[in-house]
Amino acid sequence: MSKWILRGLATGVKTTRYPRRHDGTPGISPGLPETGTELVFPEAAGAAAAVCPAGALEAEGGRLGADPRRCIHCMRCAWGSHAVPWNGGYEWARWAAESSSAKLAGAFGRSVHLRIVDAGGCDACLSEVTQLNNPYYNMHRLGFFVTPSPRHADVLLVVGPVTTHMRRPLLEAYGAMPGPRRVIAVGSCALTGGLFGPSFTASGGVAEVLPVDVEVPGCPPPPLAILHALLLLTGRGGEAEQVPEPGKGAAR
Amino acid sequence: MTEPASHAMHDQALQREAAGRWGAAVRISHPADGALEISPNPEVLSEVCGWLFHERGYALATVVAQERAQAWRLLYLFWGGPPAWVRVRIEMPLDRTSLPTIADRVHAADWHEREIEDLFGLSFVGHPRLGDFVLHEEWAEGTNPMRRSFDASRPPAAGSAGEPRWRPGRVVHAAGAFMMPVGPVFSGAAQASHFLLETIGEEVLRTIPRLFYKYRGVEKLAEGRTVDRAVLIAERFTGTSAVAHAWAFCRAVETIAGVTVPRRAELLRAAFAEFERFRHHLAAIAGIVHSTGMTVASSQADLLVEEALRSAGAAVGHRYLFGQVVPGGMYRDWRKDQLDELCRTVESLARRLDTLSRMFRFSSSFLDRLEQVGIVGRGQAEDFGLVGPVARGSGVEADLRTMLPYGSYRELLRVEGHVEQEGDGYARLRVLIAEAQESARLIRKAVARLEPGPVRVEIPAVPGEAIGWCEAPRGATFHWVRLDGDGRVARYRLTTPSFTNWHGFHLAAERFAFQDFPIIMATFGLSTAEGDR
Amino acid sequence: MNLAAGFFLAFVLLGLFGAALSAMVPDRRVPATLAWTASLASVTLLVASGLVLAHGVGFELPLMHLPVLGALGIGMDRLSALFLLVTGLVFAPASMSSAGYLGRYLGRYSLRLYGVLFHLLLVTTALTLAGSDLVTFLFNWRLMSVLCLLLVGFEHGETEHVDAGFLLLSMTEAGVLTAALGVLFLGGLGASGLDFASLRAVAPGVGSTARWAIFLLTFFGFSMKAGLIPGSSWLPRAHPVAPAPVSMILSGAILNLGVYGIVRVNLDLLPVRWVGQGLIVLIAGSLTAIIGILYATIEPDMKRMLAHSSIENMGLVAVGLGAGMVFLASHMPVLAAMGFVVAFYHMTNHSLYKSLLFLGAGGVDMRLGTRDMDRMGGLLRRMPYTGLFFLVGALSIAALPPLNGFVSEWLTLQTLLQSTALASTGVKVAFALCGALLALTVALALTCFVKAFGMSFLGMPRSEGVERVRELPRSMLWPMGLLAAGCLALGLGPTFVIPALDTVVAPLAHGSVTEELVPPFFTLGTSGDARYSGRFVRDFHRIGAQVGRGVIPGRGLVVLHPGGPRNPVVFAMSTAYTAVVLLLLLGSLYLVVRWSTRRRKVRRAAVWAGGLHHLSPDMTYTATGFSNPVRVVFEGIFRPAISEDTRESARGYFRTALTRRQMEPFALDRLFLRPVVGCARWAAARAARPHQSGRVNSYTAAVLLTLLIVLVIAGITM
Repeated sequence: MSKWILRGLATGVKTTRYPRRHDGTPGISPGLPETGTELVFPEAAGAAAAVCPAGALEAEGGRLGADPRRCIHCMRCAWGSHAVPWNGGYEWARWAAESSSAKLAGAFGRSVHLRIVDAGGCDACLSEVTQLNNPYYNMHRLGFFVTPSPRHADVLLVVGPVTTHMRRPLLEAYGAMPGPRRVIAVGSCALTGGLFGPSFTASGGVAEVLPVDVEVPGCPPPPLAILHALLLLTGRGGEAEQVPEPGKGAAR
Repeated sequence: MTEPASHAMHDQALQREAAGRWGAAVRISHPADGALEISPNPEVLSEVCGWLFHERGYALATVVAQERAQAWRLLYLFWGGPPAWVRVRIEMPLDRTSLPTIADRVHAADWHEREIEDLFGLSFVGHPRLGDFVLHEEWAEGTNPMRRSFDASRPPAAGSAGEPRWRPGRVVHAAGAFMMPVGPVFSGAAQASHFLLETIGEEVLRTIPRLFYKYRGVEKLAEGRTVDRAVLIAERFTGTSAVAHAWAFCRAVETIAGVTVPRRAELLRAAFAEFERFRHHLAAIAGIVHSTGMTVASSQADLLVEEALRSAGAAVGHRYLFGQVVPGGMYRDWRKDQLDELCRTVESLARRLDTLSRMFRFSSSFLDRLEQVGIVGRGQAEDFGLVGPVARGSGVEADLRTMLPYGSYRELLRVEGHVEQEGDGYARLRVLIAEAQESARLIRKAVARLEPGPVRVEIPAVPGEAIGWCEAPRGATFHWVRLDGDGRVARYRLTTPSFTNWHGFHLAAERFAFQDFPIIMATFGLSTAEGDR
Repeated sequence: MNLAAGFFLAFVLLGLFGAALSAMVPDRRVPATLAWTASLASVTLLVASGLVLAHGVGFELPLMHLPVLGALGIGMDRLSALFLLVTGLVFAPASMSSAGYLGRYLGRYSLRLYGVLFHLLLVTTALTLAGSDLVTFLFNWRLMSVLCLLLVGFEHGETEHVDAGFLLLSMTEAGVLTAALGVLFLGGLGASGLDFASLRAVAPGVGSTARWAIFLLTFFGFSMKAGLIPGSSWLPRAHPVAPAPVSMILSGAILNLGVYGIVRVNLDLLPVRWVGQGLIVLIAGSLTAIIGILYATIEPDMKRMLAHSSIENMGLVAVGLGAGMVFLASHMPVLAAMGFVVAFYHMTNHSLYKSLLFLGAGGVDMRLGTRDMDRMGGLLRRMPYTGLFFLVGALSIAALPPLNGFVSEWLTLQTLLQSTALASTGVKVAFALCGALLALTVALALTCFVKAFGMSFLGMPRSEGVERVRELPRSMLWPMGLLAAGCLALGLGPTFVIPALDTVVAPLAHGSVTEELVPPFFTLGTSGDARYSGRFVRDFHRIGAQVGRGVIPGRGLVVLHPGGPRNPVVFAMSTAYTAVVLLLLLGSLYLVVRWSTRRRKVRRAAVWAGGLHHLSPDMTYTATGFSNPVRVVFEGIFRPAISEDTRESARGYFRTALTRRQMEPFALDRLFLRPVVGCARWAAARAARPHQSGRVNSYTAAVLLTLLIVLVIAGITM
């Protein structure tokens, strides 16, 4: 046993400084297409938008609008003749337009218990959620915990497009949570249904089933984006913004 | 003796034996793709399949049901050989909806038949357990979504009137026996699935898994899409083995189109697929360590996983390698320095994994939880047709890279397989560790052999059907694709290692102490996204 | 003839009158008639014994004088009065509940017969206890045994019931014959007759070998009736199959007769003299307790679970007795008195709560038609009062304060801790080991009754019958309520009960424990008693002991350790205080919760079942499942026999059924009953077969030979 402890000590501190400092380690995020790109050949805007298989790009005059909620990171717009620049940030979480809930600020905001529901995800989002527990991200240090019972949960974190079969379990889990409760939808499937919804087996996103408060785009969103959502929900989201970061702000 | 000649001889031997046994009840043909096709009368279907499976050593790849314009066509695809592929083909008029089961002889076909029964409404006479499989109680009775007449764009069926109630089939009869429900929503971050543990307290006698909570109808959704859109579905229905499934899909499409993928693309595909296997196995090992409750060790393993994800993100741009493999080759090329950086990271991770695995071997509290837990015997693994590390932990090799070599595994890359005999949790862990090391070696080898050249060829829109296969991280996957005239997908049959192995999961989850359940789950390392499709 | 004797005679006459009346009224009238006459008789008995206990004056009614056997008669001293009081306490509610319970037999079995037998059982039980000589005692004992057989086998259509009755009869008969042999041996040592007074007179002159022989014969003989090891096998078979009122009596009153026999002979007639004798009782008691509770914990049959628990409780009584005997033999009268008081206290408690629980279990059986707790669940919704009273009984038997089981079990443990006063290290070790076993027993008892209440009354119904169950009739609820009140009263008032029991025990132990255990704390001035340092009493008053004055009844607290100059710490407890504090805490907690949530809107959500929409009853714990960890941990004792039968479809892996049967044969059947029966069979086969020639004259020769031997022996001894 002691050799494990020694090994743990020898490993040193690996944890990211985020949210106190911006984390620019390569490979922590796949990035998103920049919105409002001005095209060299404005008449090709339609063709450029058609490259996107998820319908995330839209031609607005000579510019190309990008909807991060729809982006599935296929990167087909990042290469080729009509390449769109991509940014490397990760602070992508936004309050849902329909949400009327308040932040979980104050006493509740420092110890938030999560319940995670896989509503039909492809496992990549779930894997990124799991990474929040690894020493690099260690969400416990910020007061976020995964609870074994929905009775103790404050936040429902949903991944996946909500399949027909997961609809009721999801509602059961939400119903079993005491108030105040919030819902975070993680990943493009959970936001828009992604490649799988709306269809005969999946809805067009969690919002069709539950009132969503915070949305995290990405396919899958990197761990720091999910962490950003939690910070946003608890009113601690702005802290890292003091530090300038490259290419911030994929606005909706 | 040349290779084709030997093939022909084996073909003839099979043919003679089949003809001798069943005479006019079977018709044998040789389609252009080199497979042997047997069309038996329905009465001898089960016997023919049983003969192939048990006596000739063939494994069942998949069962493809097709609702063609004039008739039902069912293909039972067996691999092994030589000849490598044998197709058993049944045609019957559209108004007939029942045919004999083969699950009584070939147990590996059990779930295929149940799935077809649910999705197509064909019933298999003699199958003891049909119904309530893919489609749960939310679906109205008689809904068959894979039928051509079913409209796949329709929103999900609204909750049916009344309270639908699912009655699980209980097996254990004993005084005070009850079922412990687990899932579909778990306490941690776990995939949606549901288990009923039949127990009389303490010891769990039997497990009833209930899957398909994540059924997204991938096969149906792909229909009517062009191949470069459909490949997105193939790689995204299970995000943790995207490269392998995209590759298998692309191979089917490339076979139909009759194109040869450039050598550089094949090597890149192999490098990425091996990297994916390496990362997947690291995560699986971390999952096993986590399930035994070793905190420091699980943190150490987690570090490796995250570093592997980061190195993929840094070198390729996507942490899960989405969007790389497309029909005809690779989506784009990569510079040598990027790939070398990836190799260096892999090398250092492999070294650290080696240190960890040596430390595991001396942590008795860890081994105690894994040894003699969740045992699957060799005979069981063969009868259920298990694949991947699960099968290799039970002494069955079943590695498509060596047994049905494809891409650069045909000559450029030689895979050293690793097989353990005990069939318990520790054997599966050892297989995972050995395979991760082997993958690390293969990545470096593949990158070293890269030569400049194109990475993509154009795919012409050609109708046809073909099977593509790949050894995904969890085991063999088979993608059977039929394209129509304008190059769109007409039928997509997707058999995944998780689907195959979930079928045998209950073998390991029998007579165990309740606290071992997470360990058995972790050592099987299955994905419901991959299994449910 | 004093008042008590008058009441006792009235009781006997009432009982006989009830028997006669039951024989005459039609079957459907029997339940009501029986309820009235038998409970009236029981109340008369209560008055008679209560008078004796209260005034401390017994009585003797000589009946006749037989030549060799000496004076025959009935009488009552404080000891028998205590047992008669407990008998009355059990018979009264049992009689009342018969009115509601017997209806289920109407038309199937003869209720008139039941009425006659029931009254006769009441009378013979009382006469057994009131017999003041061996002949009356034995005569009534055996009548009582036969009546028990008939009542246990009342549902004579069921083979299991009749078999259980015969096992009861044969084992207890074997026991009482052994015991009688012991007493006769004592009588043979020069007593003028077989009345207790003459026997008592010869006691001082008995030699040590004879003392040991008499002790062993009587202890193991009577312990067969009390359900102690090794002869407990009959109990878990006979008690569950009897009608509920009879089960109550068997557990609540008849078992006590075994204790009475042991106490009467070994404390009154021929008091124990050696520590070893006490140790035998103590160890037998501890082992009985642990065996009993282990089997009770894993038993899914509600009434059999209670029967096993009776074995456990009789073990606890024996532990108190054994400890007392050790102290008595070590010339520590006060501690001896403590041991006996505790034993009798526990016996009384057990009679009350076990009758309550048997009545509840019988009621559930009556309404639901099964005793299998695996098929119950959710009964509280349908039978709220039964559930409430059963809960009181379960809490009592699980030794939770402030109920009576807590007081006596806690005192039993404390008695064992008093072994520090003993000189011998070996004995101390024995006490410590028994104390550890006892602690385990108490912990398992809690598990057992959490299971008994939780699995039957709480949760979801696990069989369809539960949905149709109705609440019990009032004639059964009232007795349960009274018994529950009794449990509470005995729990709250140890300061009254201990002095009362002390008067019974004092003549046996030659010492009194009242002043030690329940000193008059509230009347103690600050200057204090000689035994307590003034500082201690002052301290005690300062922390508020006097607050209880006027609220707490009686003399105050039960004090276990008065403290001394070296160790001024006082150990004391008061269930009355506990109850008051508990009520205050619960009440204020309720108010705080109500106040703090007064503006909350309450949203009720279904039970969380992992996202499963329908939690079905077969997905909830069963009684067997709940207790299975105990079964696994103590596998070495249970030695379960498991048989499994797997059925698969014709070919391959489609498993259709896995049938598993698991049996845990009672350990004492394996260790004692079966070897004894086997030996007897073997001996019978070996010894008798050569003589079973089938010729009449050879049998005649055998009879003559036996007669000759008997005559020779008689000649030698005379």
